[in-house]
Amino acid sequence: MLKQIVNLIGKEFILEFRTKYALGAILLYAVSTVFICYLSFGTIDNKTTWNALFWIIELFAATNAVSKSFAGESKEVQLYTYTLASPGAVILSKIIYNIVLTIVLTLVTVLVYTILIGNPVVDMVLFIETAILGSAGFASVLTMVSAIASRTNGNLALMAILSIPLLIPILIIVIKLSLIAVSGMQLQDPTGFLVALAGLNVVTAALAYILFPYLWHE
Amino acid sequence: MAIKQHWWKALGVALVLYSIVMGFLGTVPALWVLHETIRNLYFHVTMWFAMMTMLTISLGYSIAYLRNFKREYDVIATEAANIAMLFGAIGIVTGMAWANFTWGEPWPNDPKLNGVAVGMLAYVAYFILRASIDEISKRGRIAAVYNIFAWVMFLVFVNALPRMADDSMHPGQAANPGFGALAPGMRTVFYPGVVGWILVGIWLLNIRKRSREIEYKLLQNELN
Amino acid sequence: MKRLVAFLVLVLSSIEAFAQEAVTADKPQMADAFRADGKIYVVVLVLSLVFVGLATYLVIIDRKVAKLEKQLNEKKSI
Repeated sequence: MLKQIVNLIGKEFILEFRTKYALGAILLYAVSTVFICYLSFGTIDNKTTWNALFWIIELFAATNAVSKSFAGESKEVQLYTYTLASPGAVILSKIIYNIVLTIVLTLVTVLVYTILIGNPVVDMVLFIETAILGSAGFASVLTMVSAIASRTNGNLALMAILSIPLLIPILIIVIKLSLIAVSGMQLQDPTGFLVALAGLNVVTAALAYILFPYLWHE
Repeated sequence: MAIKQHWWKALGVALVLYSIVMGFLGTVPALWVLHETIRNLYFHVTMWFAMMTMLTISLGYSIAYLRNFKREYDVIATEAANIAMLFGAIGIVTGMAWANFTWGEPWPNDPKLNGVAVGMLAYVAYFILRASIDEISKRGRIAAVYNIFAWVMFLVFVNALPRMADDSMHPGQAANPGFGALAPGMRTVFYPGVVGWILVGIWLLNIRKRSREIEYKLLQNELN
Repeated sequence: MKRLVAFLVLVLSSIEAFAQEAVTADKPQMADAFRADGKIYVVVLVLSLVFVGLATYLVIIDRKVAKLEKQLNEKKSI
C-alpha cells in the first residue's frame, strides 16, 4: 500500500515535469491574477481587503490547479492505473500530490503578492502555517470533488458548483486565522482554529479514502 | 386504512397541533428584546430540527445505498434531501422575519445564518449533480458519495463553526445559553413540536417516495 | 358636587394608570391585554384550522397515492 502510494506520487511528478506547460500554466494563472489585482488596486491599505483578496485569488488558483487531476487523465490511463493499484492508494497519492502542488502554488502566490501589492502581515509564521494548512485543505476537498466531477457529463462547469460550498468552511477558518496573523491582535487564541483546520483536513482525506472506491468502480 | 399503519401520521399532526395551541396559550418567561416573539421558538426552531433529521435520514439511506445498491434507497435519500430543503427554506424565511424584529435586520451577519445558507447551497449542488448524470446506477452511487460529503460539511457549518465563532447571537453559541437553559414550561411544548414536525416530514417523505415508485413502475410497464 | 366626584375619579384613575405603567416599565412588555381579552383564542383557532386544513389535504393526497398504487398492482397481475 505504502509502496503503491509512493510509486503513484512519483508517477504524478514525472508526468508533471514531462509536460512542463501544465505546471507553468498554473503558476502563470496565479501570477497573472495577482498582477491584474496589482494593476487595478495598486497597493492596499485596508488589511481586511488585503486578506480577502489574497484568499479569493488562492481559492480560484487552487481550483484551477486541482480540477485537472482526474479530468486531465484519459480513460485508458485511468483503467491502467486501476488494474495496478488499489483505489485507496490512487486517491491518497492524488491527494498528497495535489497538497504539495497547492502549497507550492500558495507560497509562490504569497511571494508575488508581497512583491507587487505589499505585505502588512504582523505574525508571518502564523500566516504561513495558515496558508499551508489551508491549501492542504483546499487540495484534499478539490481532489475528491474533481474525482466526482470527472464521472459526470459536463465536468468542468460542475467542478465550481460542487466544490465551492464544500470549501467555504475551510475558507472561513482560514480567513479568521490569517486575519489574526495580519492584524497581529490576539483577540482569540489561534491554536484552536489551527487544530480545527488540521482536523477538517484529516476528516476530508479519510472520507475521500473511504468513498473513492465507489466512484471509480464502473 | 388500518389504524395500525397510520397512527404515526395522526400522532405527528396531533403533536404539531398541540404545539400550535400551547405555543400561544402556554406561559413563557417575560424577556427583554424578545418579548412575546420567544414563542417563535416553537415554530422556527422546530423547522431546523426537522431539517437536520431529514438530512440525517438522507445520509443514512445514502450509506445504505453504497452498501447494497438498492434503487429504493437512492430514491429515499433524494426525497429526504428534498423535504429537508423545504424545511430549510421555511426555516430561513421565518428566521429572517424574526431577526428583522429582534435583531433589527433580516440578515444579520451571523455565523449560523451564513452556515445554513452555504449548507443549503451544498445540497442545491447535490441536486445539480444528480441532474447531470444520466445512468441511474452511476447517478445513485456518485450522488451518495457527494451527499455524505455535504452532510459532514453541513454539520461543520451549522454546529462546529458557529460554536467556535464568538459573534453568534443564536442559543448555544458563544456565550449564549443553549437549549438546556430552556424554561421548563417551554420545554413541554417545544420538544413535542419537534417530534410532531419530524413525523409530518416523514409523512411527506413517505408520500413522495411512493409517488416516485408509481412513476418508476409506470415507466417499467411502458418499456415492457 | 357631582362634577367634583367625577373629576376626582378621573384624576385618581389616571394616577392609577400612570402608576401601572411605571411598574411595567422595568419588566419586559408582554401582550397580556391581548390574552386577557380572549382574542388570542381567535388566533389559535385560525392557525389550528390552517394546519388542520393542510393535514387533511395531506391525508387526501396520501389516499390518492394509495389508490394509484393499488391500481398499478392490479394492472400488473392481469
